[in-house]
Amino acid sequence: MEMSTIIIQIISSFFGTLGFGFLFNIRGKKLIYAAVGGMLSWGLFLALGLVFESEALRYFLVSLCSTAYAEILARILKTPATTFSIITLIPLVPGGALYHTATFAMNGNLEEFIAKFVYTISLALALSLGIVVMTAIFRYYNKLKKS
Amino acid sequence: METNSIYRLLSSVLEILKMMVEAGAEIYRVEESANHIFSAYGYKNVDVYATTSNIIISIEAKDSTIKSHTKRIKKISTDIEKIDRLNDLVRDISQNRPDFSYIEKEIEKIKQTPKFSTVVNIIFYGVIAGAFYLFFGGRSIVEFIVSTAIGLVTGVINVFFEKLDFNKVLGKFVQSFMASLLAVALKKIGIVSHTEYIIIGNIMTLIPGIGLTNSLRDLFVGDNISGVLRLIEAALSALAIACGYVAVLAVFGGVL
Repeated sequence: MEMSTIIIQIISSFFGTLGFGFLFNIRGKKLIYAAVGGMLSWGLFLALGLVFESEALRYFLVSLCSTAYAEILARILKTPATTFSIITLIPLVPGGALYHTATFAMNGNLEEFIAKFVYTISLALALSLGIVVMTAIFRYYNKLKKS
Repeated sequence: METNSIYRLLSSVLEILKMMVEAGAEIYRVEESANHIFSAYGYKNVDVYATTSNIIISIEAKDSTIKSHTKRIKKISTDIEKIDRLNDLVRDISQNRPDFSYIEKEIEKIKQTPKFSTVVNIIFYGVIAGAFYLFFGGRSIVEFIVSTAIGLVTGVINVFFEKLDFNKVLGKFVQSFMASLLAVALKKIGIVSHTEYIIIGNIMTLIPGIGLTNSLRDLFVGDNISGVLRLIEAALSALAIACGYVAVLAVFGGVL
């Protein structure tokens, strides 16, 4: 991948996430943390590409890290983790995959449609699985600490 | 005296939970909040059942009678600031056990949580559409401007639909249809040469990413009903977005 593409993607993931921060009514400096989180998520996704080929696996790993970022930040800023946990993954939302799935469906290209459809679903699953695993780790850690 | 107070507490808690669900909080957080508050006031037999469409609380009063109350939820729209404030209030109540008029006053305050103005919202629809145009690989300045402008239009449509309380899924269809139509029309006139990234950038403003992740998260922690409800809504929204775009393709043929 070219350097210019990487830079453009990282900058645009910042602004894309920031935009959603406004739509979701995140306020103050939390907006910046959220947008930086989105940018870091995409940066990590690109970096992991050097090691792993599978996009679903990278989605899962990024989702783990980004949820940890959200949980830790939430503890520091004393706000619920929801504030950051989904928004930092916005750049990974498979919008392009949805577009291509629909295009294949429209053209009656059944084989490619099914392949793309399954691919889209697998990305979405990898994302949420990462969130769930990391959230669970933080929850049970808290419970252990209290008991 | 006790009857009066338990009803006041019950309806305050229910109002807090309702606002939490409406602002997009996870179900387990909602149910836990109620348990925290009631146990702070010394009620032991408490059952809270929350889904994304209604909440039921049943509680044993100190004279051993059962009090129960329920609320229907119709509209969910993500409001992080509100979740934040509700969370603070829940923590405050369970730690300090304030009197009920204080809780009621705080609830009224949270109802007035500031939101960004419609203009700001519309502008950021444009920002998102523009940013994701570049993100997915678009590299033309004209197309970038077009994508941003279409995002603004989608944002304006969204404001109207929210005012009308328009059906969410149908709304996504209309927004996706309009965005794709504008992109294809501009290509026909010859202003832009590719529509792919413009349409993807605009799809990103509509896509139910938060709904889908929330739904799978509810499912994984065992709140199956809410998970399925959210999943169906997210799936329908995604389908509506795809249909809006496909409808334009079908009318204008393979111009892409």
